[in-house]
Amino acid sequence: METQIQITCEEIAGKANARIVRFVGDLDATNVDYVTEQITNYFGDGLVKIVADFKQLRYVNSTGLGVLLHFNKSAKERGGCFKITNLNENVYEIIEIIGAASLLDIYDEISEAIAALD
Amino acid sequence: MSDNALTMEISSEWGGAEIAVLKVSGFLDFSGIAMLSRFFDKIAAGNWSYIVVDLAELEAICSAALGEFMGYRKRFVERGGSLVFAGLSGNIRSKLTLLGANKIFSFYQDVRSAINAYKWDYKKQSKSVAISFPAHLALVPPVRQFASRLVRQKGYSVKDAFRVETIVDEVCNNAVEHGIDEPGSAVDVRIAVDKEKIDITVSNKSAPDKVAVLRELTKPQAQGSNHVGTNDKRGRGLALIRMLSNDMDVNITEHGTTVHVTKLREE
Repeated sequence: METQIQITCEEIAGKANARIVRFVGDLDATNVDYVTEQITNYFGDGLVKIVADFKQLRYVNSTGLGVLLHFNKSAKERGGCFKITNLNENVYEIIEIIGAASLLDIYDEISEAIAALD
Repeated sequence: MSDNALTMEISSEWGGAEIAVLKVSGFLDFSGIAMLSRFFDKIAAGNWSYIVVDLAELEAICSAALGEFMGYRKRFVERGGSLVFAGLSGNIRSKLTLLGANKIFSFYQDVRSAINAYKWDYKKQSKSVAISFPAHLALVPPVRQFASRLVRQKGYSVKDAFRVETIVDEVCNNAVEHGIDEPGSAVDVRIAVDKEKIDITVSNKSAPDKVAVLRELTKPQAQGSNHVGTNDKRGRGLALIRMLSNDMDVNITEHGTTVHVTKLREE
């Protein structure tokens, strides 16, 4: 039984190798494998510039945070990026308190993250 | 006697020696103040300190009667107690609010809610819940979500509830990861909530030969707080718990591991 999380992918006009990926639910130890598989598949398909929309991501724990750092690193190794937007206050606190805010590319709005894509 | 004649009744069966419930029914107008005074004389003689006035069957109340209640409330507050209203109908609540009583008196949905509030506010009682679940990762989310709902129900903020949810999640995940996965092994969680703090205790069995490794892992310097690397996907849980909590104690023996975390109310 996994905690429910849904991931959907949306094209970004004029950015062939980029996608908006929307996270809905909780990201925790029960579903990090599923999420890792999904994002790794995007990378494998050449979609190396990800704008992660966390507007409906309610919860992240330390394991979830670990895979976010992993995605950030993997994307950069592939010449891409993993930009995070629309964090709720509680999730941002977890990221910040563990000292990861400076390691992740975080934006307030999706439009800002898209504008920052190379 | 008409249906809306004023009646009063004192009951002490709800809360024993400290709590009296005064049920006031019918129309409480100026003519009923003498009766009110007599009943409060009885209450004063009974040495109760916390008075719940049950207004569930009150039809009407005049401003003079409200003034009497204010005077009685003042006396009980001076004695370290209080006087509160319970079971107000929409009309009575509106009338009392219009008269400004909501700024002086606490209103409760029913007598039981008022007594629970007394135990919570005045007696500093805690609500304690124990959960035992098989050591499987998939069972951790419902436990953490339950903990969050519990502290919200006790009046803690959304932010405090989220922090408690995170603490319970991280401690339980560690218990499952480092505990023994065998039939009959369980993770035991106890959550005690009072008005000022939440105590979380999580116990699990662990293999005797892992004691030294676990002790090393749980040393604060081994957790790399504020030194987050991008390579490791795991290993930040205890550091996160330490940063979200006010006190944390880990006791590892050959019989198992017990983690105790205290989280003070912040908001």
